[in-house]
Amino acid sequence: MGLIEWATSPWGREVPIHIAFGLLWVSAIGGLLFLVVHAIYVGYWAKSAEAHAGEAVGASSGIAARVPERVARHSFGARLFHAVMALAMFALLFTAFLPKVGVRFAWVTYHWIAGVVLTISVIYHLFHATFWLDFWSIWPDRVDIEDAARRFRRAVGQAAPAPRKFAKYPLENKLYHLAILCAGLAVIGTGVLMMSRVRTPFLARDPYLFGFSDTTWGWMYVLHGLTGIALVALIIAHVYFALRPEKLFITNSMIFGSISREKYLEHHDPERWPVGERAPEAGAAGSKSREVPA
Amino acid sequence: MSHRFPQVIVTFRQLNGGGSDPIAIDTRQRMGVYPSKSICGGLPMADHDIANPGTSAPLLVSRRDVIKGVIAAGAVSSASYLFRASTVWAQTSAPGAVERLVTLTVNGQQRRVDVMKQETLQTTLRYKLGLTGTKLGCDRSECGACTVLIDDVPHYSCSILTHTVRGKNIVTIEGLASADGKLHPVQQGVIDEQGFQCAFCMSGFVMAAVGYLKTNPNPTRAELAHGISGNLCRCQDYDKILNAMMRGAENLRRANRV
Amino acid sequence: MAVIRDVMPAFELFQPATIDDTMRLLGQYREDAWVMAGGLDTFDWLKDRIKRPKVVVDLSQVKELSGIREAGGGLEIGATTTLTEVVRHPIVREKYSILSTGAEAAASPQIRNQGTIGGNVSQDTRCWYYRAGWPCYRAGGNTCFADTPTAINREHAILGADRCVAVNPSDSAPALIALDAKFVVRTPKGERVVDAEDYFIGPGTDITRMNILRPGDLLTAIRLPADWAGTKFYFEKVRDRNVWDFPLMNVASAMVITDGKIERIRLALNAAAARPLRLAAVEDAVRGKEPNAATGEMAGRLAVQGARALRFNAYKIPLMRNLVKRAIGGVEKAAWA
Repeated sequence: MGLIEWATSPWGREVPIHIAFGLLWVSAIGGLLFLVVHAIYVGYWAKSAEAHAGEAVGASSGIAARVPERVARHSFGARLFHAVMALAMFALLFTAFLPKVGVRFAWVTYHWIAGVVLTISVIYHLFHATFWLDFWSIWPDRVDIEDAARRFRRAVGQAAPAPRKFAKYPLENKLYHLAILCAGLAVIGTGVLMMSRVRTPFLARDPYLFGFSDTTWGWMYVLHGLTGIALVALIIAHVYFALRPEKLFITNSMIFGSISREKYLEHHDPERWPVGERAPEAGAAGSKSREVPA
Repeated sequence: MSHRFPQVIVTFRQLNGGGSDPIAIDTRQRMGVYPSKSICGGLPMADHDIANPGTSAPLLVSRRDVIKGVIAAGAVSSASYLFRASTVWAQTSAPGAVERLVTLTVNGQQRRVDVMKQETLQTTLRYKLGLTGTKLGCDRSECGACTVLIDDVPHYSCSILTHTVRGKNIVTIEGLASADGKLHPVQQGVIDEQGFQCAFCMSGFVMAAVGYLKTNPNPTRAELAHGISGNLCRCQDYDKILNAMMRGAENLRRANRV
Repeated sequence: MAVIRDVMPAFELFQPATIDDTMRLLGQYREDAWVMAGGLDTFDWLKDRIKRPKVVVDLSQVKELSGIREAGGGLEIGATTTLTEVVRHPIVREKYSILSTGAEAAASPQIRNQGTIGGNVSQDTRCWYYRAGWPCYRAGGNTCFADTPTAINREHAILGADRCVAVNPSDSAPALIALDAKFVVRTPKGERVVDAEDYFIGPGTDITRMNILRPGDLLTAIRLPADWAGTKFYFEKVRDRNVWDFPLMNVASAMVITDGKIERIRLALNAAAARPLRLAAVEDAVRGKEPNAATGEMAGRLAVQGARALRFNAYKIPLMRNLVKRAIGGVEKAAWA
């Protein structure tokens, strides 16, 4: 079985058509394997390292006093976006892949409608996050990378300074966001173009609309398929982390909007994620605070 | 089949055919040049050569030569290029596996013949048994030129596997006349009415009519037209053909009364 | 366009004698096996090298698949019974004349002599882009060449299109749906009996197949129940030529009329969508009404709701409206007919 299925175009050219849908199983099994390996790692191996890390930096009582009992983490707009995006994403994945695994139904209409919802929600998020949220808070910074190196060295038994606590988002979170961003934009970009090939109220159906060659279209379908199945693994991992007991407070905050003061102090660095009265100034100086070495 | 192909496909075929005129290709094939190639050249012909006629040089062989060649070269050798290994080999013990050597009953005679799995009756009749009275027109069950009777029922011989008709009674145009050379009443009707122009479709029409008249010996003109509606005449000579076939029906009734 | 390319490419041929042997072969070769009944659809694909199965399982020698038996007050028609046998069968002519009319409307005499009822309902679409071997959706690709601003699509679908706009070309299918026929399908797991209208599937459900048969499955028989025997039938097929042509559209209805009102009705239509359509909404709307021109008019308007024309097939919408109207309101013979 090849990774890509090919066909002969009307002009006699070999063109890619789509991915081999067997890859779906590779992605799904890969996602589940990651889940199992991670659960075993956390359960039996990483406990001692975590214990050390927890002691590394203690928060001063002054900071603790400033922190409200509930620390707002996600605004209502952000949570609404997340919920809409998640629903659209699940609808897209199920309408895309259920027919491939044998549950037959007329999926195309649901698929493109969910795709439109996803596209609109992502456009909203782009503007919302750029202009209203702390745009830089989701991108990995130097501290994250240094800390990642420290954690790795500690994990393999080498000496290294204790890693600091996280800013608003842990590094894993940031990397996951980056992966979803790449996969999501690719799948949305190709999907929007592919909508010209099915019946929608927006455009007259026309496979020649953009003047793309059969080969270009083929690669577009391949990319759409590859990112689609990559999203299967990514979302398996995401749901897994959301359900892990030690991360449930983050999941909760994505639903209710805030985390408790204890969790904030336990997991987050008030220097890197300032909250409370002084938050506005600290937030304004956000880029500077990242320069502060531990 | 009958849903007409749009012009765009013709253009595409021309492109695909390497610039050769598709109509010219078709004519060569109709004249039987392709099957004869192996006889003349003695070389096996690869499948893709057949599939892409534009790649093979046209052979200027007259139709008469071809027909003589086919008959002279004999049954098995004329089709030698057709023997290719199948992709899946059947276990001889498997249920429904077929033998290569079959016995056909053609025009009352038992004929032993070596038959490919994918061979149609038309190929066997024309190229292995030399019965070239059965014409090949479209090879797509559209035109009726290849019509023969199988157990008295008209069939398109281009569209039935030879293996399917083992043990059945096949009658071609050659088998209609009686042993003393007396023409079948329907054939006589064609002569009486001079029913055809080029008459390439004639043997098919006659076989279709003979088959239909077995189920309805006394048809109206409209019924007979419906009964032989599976045959096409490129000369558009239908009115005269119907005259001939109606005369044939009349001849047949008279012959049967006697 | 038929380009003669001499004999077909080689395949392995099996001619089993029993259904059990057939099922064994189909189970053994699965996707590699091509089930062939009359072969009239098959040979086009093979001669054109568009489909190249490794194994052809010819059903011509399976005696138990052929023939018409009386069963359960109705008829059971073996899947490989030829259309001619169906057309000529006295009980079919007497009680199920809509089927003999429909079957006789198919193709040419020679084809009806060889083509089977099972093959007629299971045949593939005639979309020439698909049949020319283009990599369209139905062929597993990602383009519909028949629904583009430049496509030639006079014979294509006005309803039920989902990426693919091909239509089902069967003439006997709407008659069988109108008769509430049951299709008997043998699967590796056993026998299934499905309603005629559920035998066919549209492109939304599976874009590469026209019916529910999966590799390894076999349609063995079609059962005609007694319920609709001898009711008031209407069948009409519209085509470009009087013989040997696929339908531009056909319609079949069976009605039971009590006290001048439609008590029961089944109405089906083909060549409007990728599957023969049973017009259940129209049936509901006309039940209890008089079968006259006014009811037919209303039924016709209702039937074409949601129809959407392609570049060259807008004529199919009034055609469908009028065929439904005639199927319910009847038609007076034109003076010149």
